[in-house]
Order: sequence, then C-alpha cells, then structure tokens
Amino acid sequence: MEYKVEKKSAPGRKEVEVLGATFEAGIPEGYEAGRWRQKLDSRKEKLKYLETGERYWYGEEWYGSEKRKTPA
Amino acid sequence: MAEEKKQSIDQATIEMIEKAAKDGALTVFQRAETTRACPIGAEGSCCSICAMGPCRVMSPRGKEETAEDRRRRVGVCGATPETISARMFLRKIAAGTASHGDHGRTMAKFFLAVAKGEAPGYSIKDEQKLLQLALDLGVAIGERRNEEIAIDIAKLLLAEFGKQEGELLFLKRAPLKRQQLWRELGVAPRGIDIEVAEAMHRTHMGTDQEYHDLLDFGVKVALADGWGGSMIATEIQDVIFGTPAPLLSQINLGVLKEDEVNVIIHGHEPQLAEMMAVAAKDPELIKYAKAKGAKGINLAGMCCTANEMLMRHGVPIAGNFLQQELAVVTGAVEAMVVDVQCIMQGLVDTANCYHTKIITTDPRAKIQGATHMEFEEHHALESAKRILKLAIDNFVNRGKNVRIPKQKTDMIAGFSHETINYLMGGMFRASYRPLNDNIINGRIRGVAGVVGCNNPRTPHDAGNMDMVKELIKNDVLVLQTGCMAMASGKAGLMVPEAAAKYAGAGLASVCEAVGIPPVLHMGACIDNTRILIAATAMVKDGGLGDDISDLPVAGAAPEWMSEKALAIGQYFVGSGVFTVFGVNWPTSGNKEVSDYLFKEFEEKLGGMWAFEPDPIKAAHLMIAHIDKKRKALGIDKARERVLYDMAMRRDLGKVEA
Repeated sequence: MEYKVEKKSAPGRKEVEVLGATFEAGIPEGYEAGRWRQKLDSRKEKLKYLETGERYWYGEEWYGSEKRKTPA
Repeated sequence: MAEEKKQSIDQATIEMIEKAAKDGALTVFQRAETTRACPIGAEGSCCSICAMGPCRVMSPRGKEETAEDRRRRVGVCGATPETISARMFLRKIAAGTASHGDHGRTMAKFFLAVAKGEAPGYSIKDEQKLLQLALDLGVAIGERRNEEIAIDIAKLLLAEFGKQEGELLFLKRAPLKRQQLWRELGVAPRGIDIEVAEAMHRTHMGTDQEYHDLLDFGVKVALADGWGGSMIATEIQDVIFGTPAPLLSQINLGVLKEDEVNVIIHGHEPQLAEMMAVAAKDPELIKYAKAKGAKGINLAGMCCTANEMLMRHGVPIAGNFLQQELAVVTGAVEAMVVDVQCIMQGLVDTANCYHTKIITTDPRAKIQGATHMEFEEHHALESAKRILKLAIDNFVNRGKNVRIPKQKTDMIAGFSHETINYLMGGMFRASYRPLNDNIINGRIRGVAGVVGCNNPRTPHDAGNMDMVKELIKNDVLVLQTGCMAMASGKAGLMVPEAAAKYAGAGLASVCEAVGIPPVLHMGACIDNTRILIAATAMVKDGGLGDDISDLPVAGAAPEWMSEKALAIGQYFVGSGVFTVFGVNWPTSGNKEVSDYLFKEFEEKLGGMWAFEPDPIKAAHLMIAHIDKKRKALGIDKARERVLYDMAMRRDLGKVEA
C-alpha cells in the first residue's frame, strides 16, 4: 500500500507532514470488492501485519490476557 | 399443501416438493415420511458390533425397573446399556473425525503437489496465510520461495495424520489454559488417524467397557478433528484458494437459469469446483454451449462446496443439504457434479425422472447408476472441461417440464477470522478489542455459533431461523457455517440491513458501526475451526477470562443429521463451549451417559452438551449460559464509569500500599 503524506500547518511550526487518509475512494464494486489482504504487497509488509494484526499468536511482546501467564 | 409447509419454511422448497410429487420423483422428504426412524437406534440402545447381536437394551417405558431387571438388561456379552450407548456415540465421533480428517489429508497431499508444481493450474494465492502457517509450524521463511516454504509446511501437516506420539501442532493455537487442561486430562491428541483407529479398537467387542472412559476418549478423538483434520483443511484451502473476504452473492433455487446450461457442484472438497469455476469462463466452452442453444454456462453450488465457492468467488448457492434433489426436480439442471460427503444416493433415482446427469468425481465416492468421471488434479482443467462438455451436451435433452422457483436472496459471505479481525481494527490495528469491549459494555450479550446440517425429521430451515432470530433479537452475535449458514442466507439474515430489522438495539448499533450483518457466514463445515480461532482471539485479547470456557459464548446445531456434526459438537464441548443439539439425541436412551455428557462434562471441560429440539427453548438455554458466564466475569450489570482525577489516583495508591 502506498501511504499518502499530507502537509499541514501546526501551532508554533510552519508545516508538518502527517499521514493522509488511507481509505480507497469510491464504492468498491465487482470481484475485488472486500479483498483487503491484497493491499499488502511485500513479504515484509505481510510479516509485519502478522506480528501486529495477528499479535495474539505472532506478536513478540504483547500476548493479550495471557501475557502474565506462565507458558503452558 | 398444509403438510408440505411442515416439511420446510422455504417457499422454493415447498414448490419443488409439490412438483416432485406431481412428476413421480422421489425425494428425501417423501422417504422421511415412509421410512420411520428406528426408535431403538435413535436413542443409542442397540449394539450391532458383533454377530452375537444386534442386542437391544432399551429401558422399560411406563414401568419401574427392579434391580434384577436392570442387572439382566445387558447385551449377550454382558455389555451394559451405558457401555453400548457410549460405544455407539464414540463410533459416530470417530466417523465424523475420519471424514474431516480424510478431507484434510487430501488437501495436504494436494498442497504438496501444488508446491512441487505437479498440479498445473493451481498456485499459492495467499502468501500471507502461507507465512502465518510457517510461523505456526516453525518453518524457516527468510528469502525462500513460497513453494519451498509450502513443501515444508505440507510435509509437516501430512505427518500429523500418521503421527504416533507427542501432540498435534495446532493445539498450540488454543488458549494456554485450555492446552494445559487437555494435557492434565490426557485428551491432547497425538495424531489424527491414531485417535480414530484407537476409537474403533476401544469400541470393538470386548475392549473398553467403561462409559466415562469411552466418552472422555471421544473428546480426544474430536479434538483431533477440530484442532487437527478440519483445521488443516481450512488453512491449506486458504493458502491455495485465498482466505475469504466479504462478498455479495445470492442463494436459493432461483439462481438457476432457464436459458443457460446449469451445472451444480455439490460436496465438500473444493479443488475440482475451483477449476470448474475457471473452466466455466472458458470462451471455447461458452461458444460450445451457445452452439447447443444455451446462452451460457451457469455454475451454482450445493452444500459445503457451495460455501467454499461462494466465499471465494461469489458463485451463487442453489440450496442446502435437503434441496439437492429438488434442484434436479426443477428439470433445469444439466449436471450435478459431486465429490464426497452428504451426497444422497437418492439423487440418481430422482435424476432418472429428468435429464440430469449425476457425475461422481472422487474415487472414494461412487454411486451406482451415476456417471463416474474421475477428477485428476494433475490434469485439473482438462478434467473440469470434460465434465462441463458433458453437461453442455446434455442441454439438448432438457425436457419441457421445467420450473425454476423465483426465490433467491442476497447474502454476504466470507467472514474468516482474519477478516473479522481486520474489519474491527483496520490494517494498522486489526483487533478483537471492539468485540470484547462491546461484550463487556453489554451492547453485545455474547456470541453463538449456529452450525450443522438439515434433517427431514424436523421442518427444513425452521429450527435455524427460529433460533438465530431469537439469538440476535437478544443481542447475541451469530457465527454460522455449513447448511445452517445457507438457511440464514435464504432467510435474509446475512445482509447488513438485517441488523436493523431483526437484531436487538445493542447488537444492531455495533453491526451498523462496523458495517456487518448480525449473522456472519464463516464458511463450510470444516471451517468451524474458524470459530475456534475467533473464540481463542477473544480470550487472548483479554477482559473475558483466560479460557474459551470463560467466554459468554454457546454453540448449536438445531437441524443436525451427520456423524461429522457430532464430532464438531464434541470438539466444541472439548474446547469449553456449551453446545446444544436439536432433532434427536443419540444417547437419549441412557440417563447415566446423557448426564455425563450434559452435566459432568462441565466440571471437567468447562463445556458440556445439551439436547433441546425446540429451537426457541434451545436459544434460551444458550442465552442463559451466556448470562451465567457474564455473571461469572462480573459484566452482568452496567457499571457507572468514573473518571479518576489525580487526587483519587493518589488515594488509590494509598489503599494499595
């Protein structure tokens, strides 16, 4: 996914770069509608997503309510 | 007409039952009326495993049994009614586990062939799921090609079937507390086939004759299905064909087209169906169909193959289990292409009244009188084209006795665990947190899995609709698979608009915010493993206890009929879920065995069985269980939220000190 960066003015500073909107414009139609997994291009992105999005199993540090548990 | 209404609540089904009667076609609905269910077998009081019997050990009805009567009420070998009941129950679970396991094994072998480039036309569609499996199984990723990683994964998963010791690899996905419990109880499966084989051995004449032991072993066998064979099938199918994501399609017999060649794909394993979807778009075949007078080729699904094709390609569904013969009765189906599981032999006789070709494709499942065209995965496209050509050739044989019901309903399918996780948090923070939060704040009361088959002993689709409507009305989010998902699809419960129409205010508000229906389609019957993973994610996200048995969740199969359904039910119970079945109960003839499954299992496993044929009462049992769990978690009452200022925080610190 290509991230859009927008420039905005900020108090005390002239201009800052912020991450822009990440939604896709328009109403998705056809076969590809809802195919969110295809947004991740590279293997690195996919592994990163697994580590964060599926952190319950693949996160290195955060393990939900089981973090405090002694591994079974 | 009044009689037919009792057979189904679906208008298209009623219409076709009527047409079948006029045409002289026999169907499951007619056979269910003429063939009475055996009352002794139905209650689990008949032992037929050796030639000294079959022995019938029914409890006396309407009179009290003396101790001496009870002593003498045994099989020829002396097997007690408890042993007989538990033994037959375990055998059913073993059969269900074997069926899902064999599906999983086929997929693992197929996956290996795809990875080695020996199955032309197939490839790895979902790299992310492949990587996920590599992480699960400890397979090196690095810069290796997907195919190299896939070979390692396929070999590891294939080895799960013949593994003799240790534990199934996917058990590690379960909540830690659950894993520990399985180990303590000795029910963590070593492999898949070994548990099925041991179940058959234990239930052989003169082996295991202690009913608690037989039923406990049933947990081990069933876990080898849920966290073994079925899970392997689901995961591999996702890698090869893609992890489902939401898409819109339609369901019911109205999806058949009068002016096109109608081909129905029916069964469970999706590799042929996937290639049929490709072949049906082949310009040469479409041209061939037009040359025969048709406007095109219309592919529709039936049963769980339909679910697979629906959630990955949007291929419409013609109907669920009890509608398979009725699709033929329309007179508009050129071919019904079948593979394994839930395919009625009666299809051939029904098809003899029309022009439909019943084509078997799997060497494990041939039917007398059907046309056998074996599917070869090494020449998949050619196989699919050959079958479609036969169907097209049959178009000219279509008679004038054609009536396609108008009914078809929009539905959204494809809510895999991964997609639910993504929908609730987006790409940057996919999460189950919103679900857990809304359960804690009470907008969502709990979550229910309503799954399973149809059964002509109960009105078609009625049990599902009554139960699901009652659950969502009471703010219970419903997850569905298999033929029950189709029943809800037909009833219009699987579109976002259904939330405002049928759901309670709390559930409706969450559905509206997330943009989901109140009833989520999660796939085929093997995909019940997606529900296990969703439940595990709820546990791991936190705030709802440490185990699946702590969650305010429940499961049901209101119209079940197959041994696979029993295996599914048992693995949900073994995973800590309260599970209620309708229609009939296979140990109902024995109080001790039923009590063990319905009551004592809860103390051991945190989950237990229940039987309630009335779908509304069954829904109330589920809601009561959900409320019990909410109370145990301390989230049964709304609490005032207090925003702590610094002084209050300091005071809090003093108390702790």
